[in-house]
Amino acid sequence: MAKLWAVFKREYLERVRTRWFVFATVFGPVIFGLMLFLPPWLSRKGKASNDLARIAVIDASGSGLGRRVAVELNGGLFGDSSRTQVMEVAPGGVAAAESLATKRVMKKEVLGYLVLDSASAAGQRARYAGRNASQAFDVGELQRVVRSQVTALRLENAGMSPALARSIMAGGLRLDTERLSEQGRGGSGALSILFALVVAFLLYISIFIYGQNVLRGVMEEKQTRVAEIIVSSIPSSRLLQGKVLGVGAVGITQLVLWGLASVVLAKVRAPVLAHFGVQATTVALPSISFGIALLLLAYFLLGYVFYAALFAAVGAVVNTEQEAQQVQMPVAMLLVASALVIQPILFSPDGQLARVMSLLPFSAPIAMPLRLTVIPLSPTEVALSLLSLVVGCWVAMWVAARIYRTGLLMYGKRPTLGEMVRWVRYAR
Amino acid sequence: MAAPTNMHTTARRTAPDLAAGGRAGSTDPRDAADAAVLIRGVAKRYERHVAVDGLSLTVPRGTVYGLLGPNGAGKTTTIRMILNIIAPDEGEIAVLGRPVATSDVTDRVGYLPEERGLYKKMQVRQVLRFLAELKGVPARVADGRIDAWLERLGLVSEAKDWGNAKVDELSRGMQQKVQFIGALVHEPELVILDEPFSGLDPINAQALKDTVVELRGSGRTVIFSTHLMENAERMCDAVCIISNGIKVLDGAVADVKAEYGNQRVAVVLDGRAGTGEPAVLADPSVVRTSSGHGRLREIELAPGADPQTLLRRLVGEGASVERFELVRPSLHEIFLDKVGAAGIERGMSGHG
Repeated sequence: MAKLWAVFKREYLERVRTRWFVFATVFGPVIFGLMLFLPPWLSRKGKASNDLARIAVIDASGSGLGRRVAVELNGGLFGDSSRTQVMEVAPGGVAAAESLATKRVMKKEVLGYLVLDSASAAGQRARYAGRNASQAFDVGELQRVVRSQVTALRLENAGMSPALARSIMAGGLRLDTERLSEQGRGGSGALSILFALVVAFLLYISIFIYGQNVLRGVMEEKQTRVAEIIVSSIPSSRLLQGKVLGVGAVGITQLVLWGLASVVLAKVRAPVLAHFGVQATTVALPSISFGIALLLLAYFLLGYVFYAALFAAVGAVVNTEQEAQQVQMPVAMLLVASALVIQPILFSPDGQLARVMSLLPFSAPIAMPLRLTVIPLSPTEVALSLLSLVVGCWVAMWVAARIYRTGLLMYGKRPTLGEMVRWVRYAR
Repeated sequence: MAAPTNMHTTARRTAPDLAAGGRAGSTDPRDAADAAVLIRGVAKRYERHVAVDGLSLTVPRGTVYGLLGPNGAGKTTTIRMILNIIAPDEGEIAVLGRPVATSDVTDRVGYLPEERGLYKKMQVRQVLRFLAELKGVPARVADGRIDAWLERLGLVSEAKDWGNAKVDELSRGMQQKVQFIGALVHEPELVILDEPFSGLDPINAQALKDTVVELRGSGRTVIFSTHLMENAERMCDAVCIISNGIKVLDGAVADVKAEYGNQRVAVVLDGRAGTGEPAVLADPSVVRTSSGHGRLREIELAPGADPQTLLRRLVGEGASVERFELVRPSLHEIFLDKVGAAGIERGMSGHG
């Protein structure tokens, strides 16, 4: 036990001390922070220009549409509409008014000019020319205003009272979504799916990275021949266990640090943004129960052990980096296949595919966490999936230990699959 | 034929030293409980070849034991079985009086593999502490010993403390020293060195020899494998020669020489003409081969012939004998004789 601890300690400390680990551990939250803080910060700049109202409106519609638009642009009936100049012209005078307006734009007296004619009043088209014509927010806002005023105008022309038309036109519509489960309310639906994706992706990446880490560690020991000294002191299976657990502990450390950093960042988001004068709603963290969090961690650990054992076996039979690339393909494909079904499972988290993938040891570590965060699952299904994964881990470790033991001291020719099968069957 | 003459001189010089040092090697091999290593009928087969077959040997405690043989003879396989790295297909191995599979036995054994290497990115002190912990030595105890060893092997000086450097910053020679410390830091009772001299410069080789002598002086047992007979001849109390996985001979160096040697005589005659000396030297019942020119002759006696008979006949024929010396054969010659040049040539192609 003390020796297993010695191996574990070495694997853990040597990795945690590397620059790579420090970089990745800090970099994760930085990325997450950018995701949280940048969009509101950028959208602050992305609001429509305050002086959008500082334009000229050439109204050839003869219906008073131009004045309506001017009022709306300046904040409605009680706004100051003097900033918007409305020129009501006859249909034939549009060209002259336009050339005049163009000069004013060039002298920077106005931002641009809007041309309204009978086609505009009929709800077909309007035209805008100005220095801000390529700014999506300005153009969008202008379009919204013109469209609403055209609609209001047409409602009134159809006999509706102006007050009624205005009250019908008033008020936008915002769609808020909320997720419901058997346990009751559980945060917003969109956020929960996003969270599930992040969890599944993070598990996939972490299992891959730390599995590769084990492979590289085994290869290093084999290439430098340290392996021979170690297995003269402890059984190779003990070395394998210590290595897999040590590297896994590094992964857990990183995931926990990332998790904590994310929670803290999400909590301080609104106050920090407010400090910079940006309004932002607080991020409602998906309400993940402690039990679910534990389950997620368990799936990471077991999934990692399953793949790390297989990657370790690969590391023990190869001699060079190129060989490692080839031989690890089957193992990597299992993992990639599990990641490929993330989307189908998300669309139908209780479907046939989702259920099957949750029971296969190689895909359960990706599929189950995904489903656990989106829908409530029956304890039986979770237990069966965990049981299958535990058995899978045990078999993977057993097979890997046997290949590892023989492969670690074999140099030169790479063993064939048949030879590896014999190692597993007749290992002593 | 200049080379053999050279070896004869070596043999002449070292034979008495070994006779004195060989006492420990002649410990009764049947006293199994006292043996550092006891191997009985061990075999290890791989898919395409037999690595070791029917091997039995006894390494007495407190001796320096040489495991000799050409490359690919099965030395490393034997060592790995002694260390419980691989299990034999047949036979039994006991180390320090215990079955080899018990873990507290491996804690008392130190090992320097033939192919050397350490974690490149680790600090020297941390590598050594790790190796000590694998042998059950607590880190605190190990640290003191590591410092002492680093200083002793010149890896710590006022100018530079290599103990804090990473392994790959060290020269190859320094790395070998570190690995050597790793094999000894837990103060093992049995030290196994696989081809310890390969790749060592003369200074480090001498340091290694001194350490081996010192280890024996403090009662430890040292087993080392080599295909260089000269090293074995100088350092070993007892040897075992294996070839193609089969034991060729074993025993105390002095006994081996007595048993397989005693067949060569160096004679210096004054070379006068007209004596019966050529007739005697040509007699196949006494002399098998005779070589050399001028006055010095190397004579290999016919099987069963007594050197004293040869001397008496030479004198009787009127030859003037200025010098008559029994030549103990070198291990190298015994090795060549027993294993055959073909076996060595074959083994040169690979390592093992």
